[in-house]
Amino acid sequence: MTTQEPVIVIDKLEKSYGKIQAVRGISMSVERGEIFGFLGPNGAGKTTTIRCMLDVIRPSAGKIRIKGLDAQRDKLELHQHIGYLPGDVRLPGTMTGKQVIDYFSRLQGLEPILLNDLVARFNVETKRPMKSYSKGMRQKIGIVLAFMCDPEVLILDEPSSGLDPLLQRVFNELLLEEQARGKTIFMSSHIMSDVEKVCQRVAVIRNGELVTVEEVEKLRERAGQRVTVEFGDMVTEEELTRIPGVIDVTKNNRAYHLNVSGSMDPLIKSFSRHEVVRMQAEEAPLEEVFLKFYEEPEKVTTTKQ
Amino acid sequence: MATTTISKSIPVPKKRTRGLTIMVWSIINARTLLVAGCFYGVLFALLLAFLYPSISQANLGTYLSSGLISGIVGGHIAHFSGFTAFLGLEIYSSFYGLLFGGILAWIGGVAIPLTIENGTIDLALSRPISRTRYYLESWLGAIICGAIIGLLIVLGVWIDTFIVNNADINWQWLWITQLVQWAFMFFAVGLGMFFGSFMNASRAAGGAAVGIIALAYLINTIGQLTDKISWLLKIMPFYYAPAIDTLINHQLTWWYPWVLVVAGLILGIAGLVVFNKRDLPTV
Repeated sequence: MTTQEPVIVIDKLEKSYGKIQAVRGISMSVERGEIFGFLGPNGAGKTTTIRCMLDVIRPSAGKIRIKGLDAQRDKLELHQHIGYLPGDVRLPGTMTGKQVIDYFSRLQGLEPILLNDLVARFNVETKRPMKSYSKGMRQKIGIVLAFMCDPEVLILDEPSSGLDPLLQRVFNELLLEEQARGKTIFMSSHIMSDVEKVCQRVAVIRNGELVTVEEVEKLRERAGQRVTVEFGDMVTEEELTRIPGVIDVTKNNRAYHLNVSGSMDPLIKSFSRHEVVRMQAEEAPLEEVFLKFYEEPEKVTTTKQ
Repeated sequence: MATTTISKSIPVPKKRTRGLTIMVWSIINARTLLVAGCFYGVLFALLLAFLYPSISQANLGTYLSSGLISGIVGGHIAHFSGFTAFLGLEIYSSFYGLLFGGILAWIGGVAIPLTIENGTIDLALSRPISRTRYYLESWLGAIICGAIIGLLIVLGVWIDTFIVNNADINWQWLWITQLVQWAFMFFAVGLGMFFGSFMNASRAAGGAAVGIIALAYLINTIGQLTDKISWLLKIMPFYYAPAIDTLINHQLTWWYPWVLVVAGLILGIAGLVVFNKRDLPTV
């Protein structure tokens, strides 16, 4: 692998199940040391893409390269460097947590060097049989299995599902620490607030097609700001709509709620001509931008490929 | 909750031998049927020893030389006398193939689908483990189950010799008979592995494999009633495992067990090819 080559390269990936096209020619890349979010509604093709990356299912067309290795041809060499967390962690009910950890560590062919850290951090129970584990406890074991042998690339499918808010925070901290150690993390998620906190870039997939690959910072800019304002004098909705950057205006009693994209300067200058009784501005949640991608067809835009 | 942080200077993890981890867990997954097979094998052998003094008084020769009974037990017993004849009837008849072959067909059939159902296959194949290795270790696990069951049955027969006075067992031919039955078990495992290679549900795969063994048993039984469908017998696995003839009459066409071994190998390898090509489903 050359130093410039991204760690993960997905090139025109397609996957069909009979007549159903689950993934339609998606292309994206993930740089070394990046936490990359892979978002999309249920059935969009996220898990299919991840399972193609692991060669559990075979692409109908296209190529996947990870660490410069072909995901199908060189998978044995490649899988020495991968940690994987499936979307639904299911493990044999009769095995204890300890047995599960030992089994997968043996299959990895490496000592679980991070095991003690992870068990302590997530307060993982390892002595009971898996059948007595709740969804969250199984998820914790899944996280331990993915990280314990210190892999260079982590492929995580819905990693924080089933975790309580406290553990989600612990998990996010773990991701950021691993990133600081140079690990590359590819994660699909439904929890947009988590994606917002840890990912540098996100890809959004809908109906098997890539809708966008964007830096989170740029999405944040695109999301703009929410402004709530109350005037002492008479202001009409039409007048507010005409202000450059104002996307939409709604009125609730005496307060106007505005969504503003880009610079706030025209808005402030326009407000200065009126008596402003109260004004509040806040960043719009990214969730709304993501949901917009989920709902509306939009041409693919990329910032880094 | 502990608030540890991962140290930035972590040494490279030491290598660990993989051994035959998948095979071991394949046997552990099959433990219920394995224990059942061992239990019934030893139980039948010991029951025979305890019942032998009583049943040896009965004149079963005429009864057992009939075509129907020969079909059911899977072999003609011309001179029915002695402990070996009863041993052949009870433990090495076609029932043996049906029961223990069925158990092993099920064990082979569920070996892969069970790991699809319990979710371990995705996690296992995301490790540096090839599908070929995964399949072969699962197959080997099922074969070892057959070997264990067979050995315990022989152990049961050996214990019989302490219970029955003058048990006329020719150990050389008993081991040859056991090898014939192991060939049948090998076939049954290969059949199960083949079904398990492309089916996702363990019960469906195990059931299909057992169904084939049961069907073969029925055809073998019916086929011995008339010469008109004797060709049908020759395509049935039971035809190539004439354990009663081997044990009692000391007769064996040497290549018969090899037919079962080759058929089991072909089925197992066909399953391997299918398993390597297919997409694995999510749970």
